Amino acid sequence: MWAKKDKDKGEAVRKVLLDNYESYYRLAFAYVHNEADAMDIVQEGAYRAMLKADDLREISFAGTWVYRIMINEAKGYLRKNRKETGELDENLAAEEVYRDIDLEKAVEKLPEAERTLIILRFYEDKQLSEIAEILQENLNTVKSRLYRVLRKLREELAEQT
Amino acid sequence: MKEFETEDYRDMEKKFSVAGEDHRKIPVPEEMRARVEAGIARAETEKKKTAQKIGGFRIGMAAAAVAMLVILPNTGAGAAHAMGSLPVVGKLFQAVTFRDYRYESDRFDADVEVPKIQVEDMDDAESQNGEDTSGQLQETVEQINFDIEEVTNRLVEEFKKAADAGESYGSLDIHHETVTDNEQYFTLKLSLYQGAGSGYQSYKYYTIDKKTGKQVQIGDLFRTDSSYNEILSENIREQMRARMAEDEMKVYWVDYEEVPEWNFEKLKENQNFYFDGSENLVIVFDEYEVAPGYMGAQEFTVEKDVFEGLLK
Repeated sequence: MWAKKDKDKGEAVRKVLLDNYESYYRLAFAYVHNEADAMDIVQEGAYRAMLKADDLREISFAGTWVYRIMINEAKGYLRKNRKETGELDENLAAEEVYRDIDLEKAVEKLPEAERTLIILRFYEDKQLSEIAEILQENLNTVKSRLYRVLRKLREELAEQT
Repeated sequence: MKEFETEDYRDMEKKFSVAGEDHRKIPVPEEMRARVEAGIARAETEKKKTAQKIGGFRIGMAAAAVAMLVILPNTGAGAAHAMGSLPVVGKLFQAVTFRDYRYESDRFDADVEVPKIQVEDMDDAESQNGEDTSGQLQETVEQINFDIEEVTNRLVEEFKKAADAGESYGSLDIHHETVTDNEQYFTLKLSLYQGAGSGYQSYKYYTIDKKTGKQVQIGDLFRTDSSYNEILSENIREQMRARMAEDEMKVYWVDYEEVPEWNFEKLKENQNFYFDGSENLVIVFDEYEVAPGYMGAQEFTVEKDVFEGLLK
């Protein structure tokens, strides 16, 4: 029954959400740097993922698929927020637990797509192949972009010191 | 810029290892789990609402069917024939229920009416332009009837299997309706509802061009150089925006920045459509196709003057 398949997909998405919500929260936090907004993003992302669960092509994609939705949700939030309030509050970032403030600030300045790569690879500790799946990009594209971003970051950090 | 070697990659990796560790130590508020559950619950409530909307209708239909069976145990083709007949000039097209299937238990119910298109005097009629298209018409009708049987058989088999296994619960409703029957077109609408947990409603529209005897897909209506798809799609997008502006409960996937890949782009080759009584074109989308599930299936009427100049 196709409806049964839909039901299984719904179950799979729910399980993925409940198993990994802490990771989604940290992911969202890396974008917005505050608790309330990060929680809003994850809640809204959970809602959308569940609502669209039937569209999932294969149950085995549920993990990367939910990641993609969460990233889209965070980016959408940033875009909306920028329109309404201008720049992100710099003080918020400074208050947080990060030790390498220079590095963190350099990452903060990156364009969204590049920032996402850094967050996924180094903060979320995802393998390149997983990142390619999440972003629905070719593995080589992801690899070369990541190298480019790292090179850019290194140049920037070298200038500062 | 200097070359970026593997060593440099390792170097950056090391720099990030601290940041990464810190990241993974970000404390997660206790409330987070409850908030995720709330998000899930909201989605499920919306899905259920859609199912109930269709479900209410379904139960009504089943009750009516039972009553009819009591009074007229031998309805079926005869009654459908009488109800399906329409006084039209020329060949008489009609859809009759040629097979039905009902099932009811505690957790499973099915109400299925499988239609079949019939054309009266198919053999001896000749078409308006003098060419004999009856052979073509016969072939088209047979093909459509075959398709209907295949689709409905598959669903009935799946339902029976699930009901025999007795796990969980399920329902199946298949109904039909003649939505267009004018000089040029005959359109049969097949409505399929399959439910188990969250239900899924879909439609199939079969349109026959009476003049050529062929089945018509949306692209067949328009000149190939007419960019009809862009024009109709843009018209639909405008209607979506207007409906959203009018009623904030309405949501369509249009200008949706958060997930651009959900946005409605253009009509599919086999997009469902029919002509209404004023010869406007009605485009039909299945649920989830252009809007969230709770919105259900969606119809957009494109006024005749928008597309008239593009027709073949």
